[in-house]
Amino acid sequence: MTLGSIFESAAIDAALRNTPFAGQMHFFPSIHSTNTHAMAAGEHGAPHGSVFFADEQTAGRGRSSHQWQSPAGCGIYASILLRPTIAPGDALWFSLAAGLAAQDAIAQVTTLKTDLRWPNDLMLGKRKFGGILTEMNAEATRIRYLVIGIGINVLHPAFSPDLAPIATSLLIETGLPWSRQEILIALLQSLHRETSALSDPATSDAGQSSILDRVEAMSTWVRGRRVRVDEGEGFTGVTEGLDARGFLRVRTAQGLRTVFSGGVRDF
Amino acid sequence: MNPEELEQLKELIEFLKENQIGEFALERGDLKVSVKFGGEQTAQPGMDVASLARLLAMQSPAGAVAPPVHVPVPSVAPQMHASAEVSSSAEASEEADLHIVKSPIVGTFYESPSPGASAFVKIGDRVENGQVLCIVEAMKLMNEIESDAAGEVVKRLVQNGQPVEYGQPLFALKKV
Repeated sequence: MTLGSIFESAAIDAALRNTPFAGQMHFFPSIHSTNTHAMAAGEHGAPHGSVFFADEQTAGRGRSSHQWQSPAGCGIYASILLRPTIAPGDALWFSLAAGLAAQDAIAQVTTLKTDLRWPNDLMLGKRKFGGILTEMNAEATRIRYLVIGIGINVLHPAFSPDLAPIATSLLIETGLPWSRQEILIALLQSLHRETSALSDPATSDAGQSSILDRVEAMSTWVRGRRVRVDEGEGFTGVTEGLDARGFLRVRTAQGLRTVFSGGVRDF
Repeated sequence: MNPEELEQLKELIEFLKENQIGEFALERGDLKVSVKFGGEQTAQPGMDVASLARLLAMQSPAGAVAPPVHVPVPSVAPQMHASAEVSSSAEASEEADLHIVKSPIVGTFYESPSPGASAFVKIGDRVENGQVLCIVEAMKLMNEIESDAAGEVVKRLVQNGQPVEYGQPLFALKKV
Protein backbone atom coordinates (compact mmCIF):
# COMPACT_ATOMS: atom_id res chain seq x y z
CA MET A 1 0.00 0.00 0.00
CA THR A 2 1.20 3.49 -0.73
CA LEU A 3 0.59 6.19 1.83
CA GLY A 4 -0.15 9.38 -0.03
CA SER A 5 2.23 9.77 -2.92
CA ILE A 6 5.39 9.84 -0.86
CA PHE A 7 5.31 7.50 2.10
CA GLU A 8 5.41 3.76 1.39
CA SER A 9 3.97 1.76 4.23
CA ALA A 10 5.66 -1.58 3.46
CA ALA A 11 9.11 -0.04 3.05
CA ILE A 12 8.76 1.92 6.30
CA ASP A 13 7.62 -1.15 8.24
CA ALA A 14 10.47 -3.21 6.81
CA ALA A 15 13.07 -0.59 7.74
CA LEU A 16 11.64 -0.39 11.27
CA ARG A 17 11.27 -4.13 11.84
CA ASN A 18 13.53 -4.12 14.91
CA THR A 19 11.60 -1.32 16.59
CA PRO A 20 8.20 -1.16 18.31
CA PHE A 21 7.03 1.14 15.50
CA ALA A 22 6.84 -1.56 12.77
CA GLY A 23 3.21 -2.29 11.92
CA GLN A 24 2.06 0.64 14.05
CA MET A 25 2.51 3.52 11.60
CA HIS A 26 -0.73 5.47 11.15
CA PHE A 27 -0.67 7.90 8.23
CA PHE A 28 -3.07 10.81 7.65
CA PRO A 29 -3.13 12.81 4.39
CA SER A 30 -4.42 15.70 6.49
CA ILE A 31 -5.08 16.03 10.19
CA HIS A 32 -5.60 18.86 12.71
CA SER A 33 -2.61 17.94 14.88
CA THR A 34 -0.82 14.61 15.16
CA ASN A 35 -0.10 15.32 18.85
CA THR A 36 -3.74 16.02 19.69
CA HIS A 37 -4.72 12.84 17.88
CA ALA A 38 -2.01 10.80 19.59
CA MET A 39 -2.97 12.02 23.07
CA ALA A 40 -6.59 11.04 22.41
CA ALA A 41 -5.44 7.66 21.08
CA GLY A 42 -3.38 7.21 24.25
CA GLU A 43 -6.47 7.84 26.34
CA HIS A 44 -8.25 5.15 24.33
CA GLY A 45 -5.52 2.57 24.86
CA ALA A 46 -3.30 2.88 21.77
CA PRO A 47 -0.29 0.61 22.32
CA HIS A 48 3.35 1.54 23.00
CA GLY A 49 5.09 2.34 19.73
CA SER A 50 2.10 3.79 17.88
CA VAL A 51 3.18 6.51 15.45
CA PHE A 52 0.77 9.05 13.97
CA PHE A 53 2.15 11.02 11.04
CA ALA A 54 0.67 13.28 8.43
CA ASP A 55 1.35 14.90 5.09
CA GLU A 56 -0.39 18.04 6.33
CA GLN A 57 -1.47 19.46 9.70
CA THR A 58 -4.17 22.10 9.77
CA ALA A 59 -3.60 22.97 13.43
CA GLY A 60 0.01 21.97 14.10
CA ARG A 61 1.21 23.44 17.36
CA GLY A 62 4.21 24.07 19.52
CA ARG A 63 4.82 25.27 23.04
CA SER A 64 2.67 28.09 24.47
CA SER A 65 0.05 27.67 21.75
CA HIS A 66 2.55 28.64 19.04
CA GLN A 67 1.44 27.34 15.67
CA TRP A 68 3.60 25.05 13.57
CA GLN A 69 3.07 25.71 9.87
CA SER A 70 2.52 22.29 8.36
CA PRO A 71 1.65 22.55 4.67
CA ALA A 72 1.12 19.41 2.58
CA GLY A 73 4.09 17.78 0.88
CA CYS A 74 6.71 19.71 2.86
CA GLY A 75 7.45 18.31 6.25
CA ILE A 76 7.64 15.48 8.69
CA TYR A 77 4.84 15.81 11.21
CA ALA A 78 4.99 12.78 13.46
CA SER A 79 3.81 11.96 16.97
CA ILE A 80 5.23 8.92 18.69
CA LEU A 81 3.29 7.34 21.55
CA LEU A 82 5.30 5.52 24.21
CA ARG A 83 4.37 3.83 27.47
CA PRO A 84 7.75 3.68 29.20
CA THR A 85 7.99 2.07 32.62
CA ILE A 86 10.00 4.90 34.19
CA ALA A 87 9.19 7.50 36.83
CA PRO A 88 7.31 10.53 35.45
CA GLY A 89 10.16 12.81 36.51
CA ASP A 90 12.56 10.88 34.29
CA ALA A 91 10.45 11.58 31.22
CA LEU A 92 12.29 14.89 30.86
CA TRP A 93 15.24 12.88 29.50
CA PHE A 94 13.03 11.89 26.55
CA SER A 95 12.69 15.54 25.65
CA LEU A 96 16.46 15.97 25.34
CA ALA A 97 16.86 12.53 23.73
CA ALA A 98 14.32 13.39 21.04
CA GLY A 99 16.35 16.42 20.01
CA LEU A 100 19.51 14.34 19.76
CA ALA A 101 17.67 11.64 17.79
CA ALA A 102 16.34 14.17 15.29
CA GLN A 103 19.74 15.80 14.92
CA ASP A 104 21.33 12.39 14.35
CA ALA A 105 18.72 11.43 11.73
CA ILE A 106 19.33 14.64 9.77
CA ALA A 107 23.08 14.04 9.90
CA GLN A 108 22.71 10.44 8.68
CA VAL A 109 20.54 11.33 5.70
CA THR A 110 21.92 14.74 4.69
CA THR A 111 25.36 14.92 6.40
CA LEU A 112 24.32 18.39 7.60
CA LYS A 113 25.72 19.42 10.94
CA THR A 114 22.83 21.05 12.75
CA ASP A 115 22.62 22.86 16.05
CA LEU A 116 20.42 22.19 19.09
CA ARG A 117 18.89 25.08 20.99
CA TRP A 118 18.05 23.91 24.51
CA PRO A 119 16.07 21.90 25.14
CA ASN A 120 15.47 20.49 21.67
CA ASP A 121 14.97 23.01 18.87
CA LEU A 122 16.67 22.00 15.63
CA MET A 123 18.62 24.91 14.21
CA LEU A 124 20.59 25.75 11.12
CA GLY A 125 22.48 28.93 11.99
CA LYS A 126 20.04 31.34 13.59
CA ARG A 127 16.98 29.76 12.01
CA LYS A 128 14.85 26.92 13.27
CA PHE A 129 13.89 24.03 11.01
CA GLY A 130 12.56 21.53 13.51
CA GLY A 131 10.69 21.53 16.80
CA ILE A 132 9.63 19.00 19.38
CA LEU A 133 6.70 19.12 21.78
CA THR A 134 6.30 16.28 24.25
CA GLU A 135 3.06 15.67 26.11
CA MET A 136 2.56 13.28 28.96
CA ASN A 137 -0.29 11.79 30.91
CA ALA A 138 0.98 10.40 34.18
CA GLU A 139 -0.10 9.37 37.62
CA ALA A 140 2.07 10.38 40.58
CA THR A 141 4.47 7.47 40.14
CA ARG A 142 3.66 6.02 36.74
CA ILE A 143 3.56 7.27 33.15
CA ARG A 144 0.36 6.21 31.46
CA TYR A 145 1.49 7.45 28.06
CA LEU A 146 3.86 9.95 26.56
CA VAL A 147 3.65 11.52 23.12
CA ILE A 148 6.72 12.97 21.42
CA GLY A 149 5.64 15.28 18.61
CA ILE A 150 8.30 16.15 16.05
CA GLY A 151 7.98 18.62 13.21
CA ILE A 152 10.78 18.97 10.66
CA ASN A 153 10.75 21.42 7.76
CA VAL A 154 12.13 19.39 4.87
CA LEU A 155 10.76 20.69 1.57
CA HIS A 156 9.26 24.06 2.48
CA PRO A 157 10.28 26.28 -0.48
CA ALA A 158 9.86 29.53 1.46
CA PHE A 159 8.30 31.06 4.56
CA SER A 160 6.05 34.07 5.04
CA PRO A 161 7.88 37.38 5.70
CA ASP A 162 7.18 37.21 9.43
CA LEU A 163 8.66 33.71 9.73
CA ALA A 164 11.46 33.96 7.14
CA PRO A 165 13.98 35.52 9.55
CA ILE A 166 13.53 32.73 12.09
CA ALA A 167 12.47 29.66 10.09
CA THR A 168 14.13 27.55 7.44
CA SER A 169 13.93 24.14 5.78
CA LEU A 170 16.41 21.57 4.55
CA LEU A 171 15.46 22.48 0.97
CA ILE A 172 16.10 26.18 1.55
CA GLU A 173 19.47 25.45 3.16
CA THR A 174 20.76 22.88 0.65
CA GLY A 175 18.67 23.29 -2.50
CA LEU A 176 18.09 19.54 -2.48
CA PRO A 177 14.75 17.66 -2.33
CA TRP A 178 15.47 15.30 0.55
CA SER A 179 13.32 12.21 1.01
CA ARG A 180 10.94 12.69 3.93
CA GLN A 181 10.56 8.92 4.19
CA GLU A 182 14.31 8.38 4.62
CA ILE A 183 14.47 11.05 7.31
CA LEU A 184 11.39 9.65 9.08
CA ILE A 185 12.89 6.15 9.14
CA ALA A 186 16.24 7.40 10.43
CA LEU A 187 14.45 9.50 13.02
CA LEU A 188 12.43 6.58 14.38
CA GLN A 189 15.46 4.29 14.45
CA SER A 190 17.46 6.90 16.38
CA LEU A 191 14.57 7.58 18.71
CA HIS A 192 14.21 3.88 19.41
CA ARG A 193 17.91 3.65 20.35
CA GLU A 194 17.69 6.66 22.66
CA THR A 195 14.44 5.74 24.39
CA SER A 196 15.43 2.07 24.82
CA ALA A 197 18.60 3.08 26.65
CA LEU A 198 16.62 5.38 28.95
CA SER A 199 13.83 2.88 29.60
CA ASP A 200 16.02 -0.06 30.65
CA PRO A 201 17.02 0.20 34.34
CA ALA A 202 20.34 -1.49 33.48
CA THR A 203 21.34 1.29 31.08
CA SER A 204 19.31 4.34 32.14
CA ASP A 205 22.03 5.95 34.28
CA ALA A 206 24.57 5.64 31.48
CA GLY A 207 21.92 6.83 29.04
CA GLN A 208 21.26 9.99 31.04
CA SER A 209 24.92 10.77 31.43
CA SER A 210 25.52 10.18 27.74
CA ILE A 211 22.69 12.60 26.90
CA LEU A 212 24.22 15.36 29.04
CA ASP A 213 27.59 14.86 27.34
CA ARG A 214 26.17 14.80 23.84
CA VAL A 215 23.89 17.82 24.28
CA GLU A 216 26.93 19.75 25.55
CA ALA A 217 28.94 18.57 22.54
CA MET A 218 26.24 19.08 19.90
CA SER A 219 24.82 22.44 20.95
CA THR A 220 26.39 25.87 20.68
CA TRP A 221 23.72 27.18 23.07
CA VAL A 222 24.65 25.33 26.23
CA ARG A 223 27.80 27.25 27.20
CA GLY A 224 29.00 30.80 26.86
CA ARG A 225 26.04 32.09 24.91
CA ARG A 226 24.36 35.36 25.78
CA VAL A 227 20.64 34.62 25.96
CA ARG A 228 17.28 35.96 26.97
CA VAL A 229 14.95 33.53 28.75
CA ASP A 230 11.21 34.15 28.67
CA GLU A 231 10.54 32.31 31.91
CA GLY A 232 8.50 34.17 34.50
CA GLU A 233 9.24 37.89 34.09
CA GLY A 234 12.07 37.04 31.69
CA PHE A 235 15.80 37.50 32.28
CA THR A 236 19.13 37.63 30.47
CA GLY A 237 22.51 36.08 31.08
CA VAL A 238 25.19 33.77 29.74
CA THR A 239 24.61 30.02 29.51
CA GLU A 240 26.76 27.92 31.82
CA GLY A 241 26.12 24.28 30.94
CA LEU A 242 23.51 21.80 32.09
CA ASP A 243 22.86 20.68 35.63
CA ALA A 244 22.70 16.99 36.56
CA ARG A 245 19.01 16.85 35.59
CA GLY A 246 19.59 18.40 32.18
CA PHE A 247 18.26 21.85 33.03
CA LEU A 248 20.06 24.82 31.50
CA ARG A 249 22.04 27.07 33.83
CA VAL A 250 22.30 30.76 33.07
CA ARG A 251 24.65 33.16 34.85
CA THR A 252 22.81 36.42 35.43
CA ALA A 253 23.86 39.65 37.13
CA GLN A 254 22.04 38.37 40.22
CA GLY A 255 23.56 34.89 40.22
CA LEU A 256 23.15 31.49 38.63
CA ARG A 257 19.61 30.61 37.54
CA THR A 258 18.16 27.33 36.40
CA VAL A 259 15.89 27.33 33.37
CA PHE A 260 13.04 24.85 33.66
CA SER A 261 10.96 25.59 30.65
CA GLY A 262 11.44 29.02 29.20
CA GLY A 263 12.20 29.65 25.56
CA VAL A 264 15.88 30.58 25.13
CA ARG A 265 16.81 33.17 22.50
CA ASP A 266 19.89 35.11 21.46
CA PHE A 267 20.30 38.42 23.24
CA MET B 1 4.81 21.19 63.84
CA ASN B 2 7.37 18.41 63.97
CA PRO B 3 11.15 18.87 64.17
CA GLU B 4 11.58 18.33 60.43
CA GLU B 5 9.10 21.06 59.64
CA LEU B 6 10.77 23.34 62.14
CA GLU B 7 14.05 22.73 60.32
CA GLN B 8 12.37 23.57 57.02
CA LEU B 9 10.97 26.72 58.51
CA LYS B 10 14.42 27.76 59.69
CA GLU B 11 15.76 27.08 56.22
CA LEU B 12 13.00 29.17 54.71
CA ILE B 13 13.73 32.07 57.02
CA GLU B 14 17.44 31.84 56.19
CA PHE B 15 16.57 31.91 52.51
CA LEU B 16 14.31 34.93 52.92
CA LYS B 17 17.03 36.68 54.88
CA GLU B 18 19.71 35.93 52.33
CA ASN B 19 17.58 37.28 49.55
CA GLN B 20 16.47 40.23 51.63
CA ILE B 21 12.81 39.49 51.20
CA GLY B 22 10.88 41.88 53.41
CA GLU B 23 7.67 39.98 53.82
CA PHE B 24 6.45 36.49 53.04
CA ALA B 25 3.22 34.58 53.50
CA LEU B 26 2.41 30.96 52.73
CA GLU B 27 -0.78 28.99 53.13
CA ARG B 28 -0.45 25.33 52.42
CA GLY B 29 -3.12 22.89 53.53
CA ASP B 30 -3.57 23.44 57.22
CA LEU B 31 -0.27 25.23 57.62
CA LYS B 32 -0.06 28.98 57.57
CA VAL B 33 3.23 30.85 57.74
CA SER B 34 3.78 34.56 57.67
CA VAL B 35 7.17 36.18 58.08
CA LYS B 36 7.88 39.87 58.19
CA PHE B 37 11.31 41.38 58.60
CA GLY B 38 11.93 44.85 59.92
CA GLY B 39 14.30 47.24 58.18
CA GLU B 40 14.27 48.23 54.54
CA GLN B 41 15.00 45.04 52.67
CA THR B 42 13.67 44.77 49.18
CA ALA B 43 13.21 41.69 47.07
CA GLN B 44 15.94 40.98 44.58
CA PRO B 45 14.59 40.10 41.17
CA GLY B 46 17.49 37.72 40.52
CA MET B 47 16.86 35.38 43.42
CA ASP B 48 16.97 31.70 42.68
CA VAL B 49 13.34 30.74 42.11
CA ALA B 50 14.20 27.06 42.09
CA SER B 51 15.41 27.30 45.67
CA LEU B 52 12.32 29.19 46.67
CA ALA B 53 10.13 26.62 44.98
CA ARG B 54 11.90 23.83 46.84
CA LEU B 55 11.32 25.58 50.13
CA LEU B 56 7.69 26.15 49.26
CA ALA B 57 7.30 22.43 48.81
CA MET B 58 7.27 21.99 52.53
CA GLN B 59 3.93 21.18 54.02
CA SER B 60 2.29 19.95 57.12
CA PRO B 61 0.83 16.45 57.00
CA ALA B 62 -2.83 16.59 56.04
CA GLY B 63 -5.11 16.50 58.99
CA ALA B 64 -2.55 17.39 61.62
CA VAL B 65 -4.31 18.99 64.54
CA ALA B 66 -2.10 21.29 66.52
CA PRO B 67 -2.66 24.43 68.52
CA PRO B 68 -1.18 27.65 67.16
CA VAL B 69 2.51 27.78 67.97
CA HIS B 70 4.92 30.63 68.16
CA VAL B 71 8.28 29.66 66.77
CA PRO B 72 11.37 31.43 67.98
CA VAL B 73 13.67 32.47 65.17
CA PRO B 74 17.10 31.43 66.32
CA SER B 75 19.27 32.46 63.41
CA VAL B 76 18.10 35.89 62.39
CA ALA B 77 20.49 38.75 62.97
CA PRO B 78 19.23 41.09 65.68
CA GLN B 79 19.24 44.14 63.46
CA MET B 80 16.70 42.47 61.18
CA HIS B 81 14.03 42.48 63.92
CA ALA B 82 12.58 39.36 62.43
CA SER B 83 9.57 37.58 63.72
CA ALA B 84 7.76 34.55 62.44
CA GLU B 85 4.44 33.16 63.36
CA VAL B 86 3.25 29.72 62.44
CA SER B 87 -0.26 28.62 63.13
CA SER B 88 -2.35 25.67 62.24
CA SER B 89 -5.66 26.44 60.67
CA ALA B 90 -8.55 26.80 63.04
CA GLU B 91 -10.50 24.56 60.71
CA ALA B 92 -8.07 21.70 61.11
CA SER B 93 -10.74 19.16 61.88
CA GLU B 94 -12.68 20.15 58.78
CA GLU B 95 -9.54 20.09 56.64
CA ALA B 96 -8.74 16.56 57.69
CA ASP B 97 -10.90 15.55 54.74
CA LEU B 98 -8.78 17.51 52.26
CA HIS B 99 -6.94 15.65 49.57
CA ILE B 100 -3.75 17.22 48.24
CA VAL B 101 -2.81 16.78 44.57
CA LYS B 102 0.97 16.97 44.13
CA SER B 103 3.23 17.53 41.15
CA PRO B 104 4.93 14.39 39.84
CA ILE B 105 7.61 16.44 38.05
CA VAL B 106 9.65 19.62 38.30
CA GLY B 107 8.49 22.41 36.04
CA THR B 108 6.32 25.45 35.50
CA PHE B 109 2.68 25.37 36.61
CA TYR B 110 0.01 26.34 34.09
CA GLU B 111 -3.65 26.57 35.00
CA SER B 112 -4.89 26.45 31.39
CA PRO B 113 -4.05 24.47 28.22
CA SER B 114 -2.64 27.58 26.52
CA PRO B 115 -2.07 31.23 27.42
CA GLY B 116 -5.36 33.11 27.42
CA ALA B 117 -7.49 29.97 27.52
CA SER B 118 -9.74 29.42 30.49
CA ALA B 119 -8.40 27.44 33.42
CA PHE B 120 -8.90 23.68 33.56
CA VAL B 121 -10.58 24.08 36.95
CA LYS B 122 -11.51 26.87 39.32
CA ILE B 123 -12.20 27.00 43.04
CA GLY B 124 -15.53 25.42 43.80
CA ASP B 125 -15.50 23.06 40.80
CA ARG B 126 -16.41 19.44 41.38
CA VAL B 127 -13.78 17.23 39.72
CA GLU B 128 -13.69 13.53 38.97
CA ASN B 129 -10.84 11.12 39.51
CA GLY B 130 -8.74 11.36 36.33
CA GLN B 131 -9.86 14.84 35.35
CA VAL B 132 -7.07 17.16 34.16
CA LEU B 133 -6.43 19.93 36.71
CA CYS B 134 -3.43 21.73 35.25
CA ILE B 135 -0.23 21.36 33.24
CA VAL B 136 3.30 21.31 34.61
CA GLU B 137 5.86 22.00 31.89
CA ALA B 138 9.60 21.49 31.78
CA MET B 139 11.90 21.18 28.76
CA LYS B 140 8.91 21.50 26.42
CA LEU B 141 7.35 18.46 28.03
CA MET B 142 3.76 19.25 28.93
CA ASN B 143 2.55 17.08 31.78
CA GLU B 144 -1.20 16.95 32.25
CA ILE B 145 -1.79 16.60 35.96
CA GLU B 146 -4.91 14.62 36.65
CA SER B 147 -6.83 14.54 39.86
CA ASP B 148 -6.21 11.34 41.78
CA ALA B 149 -9.43 11.74 43.73
CA ALA B 150 -12.97 12.99 43.24
CA GLY B 151 -13.93 16.12 45.12
CA GLU B 152 -14.44 19.85 45.21
CA VAL B 153 -11.49 22.11 44.46
CA VAL B 154 -11.13 24.26 47.57
CA LYS B 155 -7.63 25.67 47.11
CA ARG B 156 -5.07 26.23 44.39
CA LEU B 157 -1.72 26.28 46.12
CA VAL B 158 0.46 27.75 43.36
CA GLN B 159 0.26 30.67 40.96
CA ASN B 160 -0.03 30.42 37.19
CA GLY B 161 3.48 30.43 35.70
CA GLN B 162 5.16 29.60 39.01
CA PRO B 163 7.98 27.02 39.15
CA VAL B 164 7.09 23.91 41.13
CA GLU B 165 9.23 21.11 42.51
CA TYR B 166 8.73 17.38 42.56
CA GLY B 167 6.07 16.49 45.12
CA GLN B 168 4.92 20.08 45.63
CA PRO B 169 1.21 20.39 46.53
CA LEU B 170 -0.81 21.95 43.72
CA PHE B 171 -4.46 21.70 44.71
CA ALA B 172 -6.50 20.86 47.79
CA LEU B 173 -9.68 18.93 47.18
CA LYS B 174 -12.50 18.37 49.61
CA LYS B 175 -13.54 14.81 49.15
CA VAL B 176 -17.21 14.25 48.50
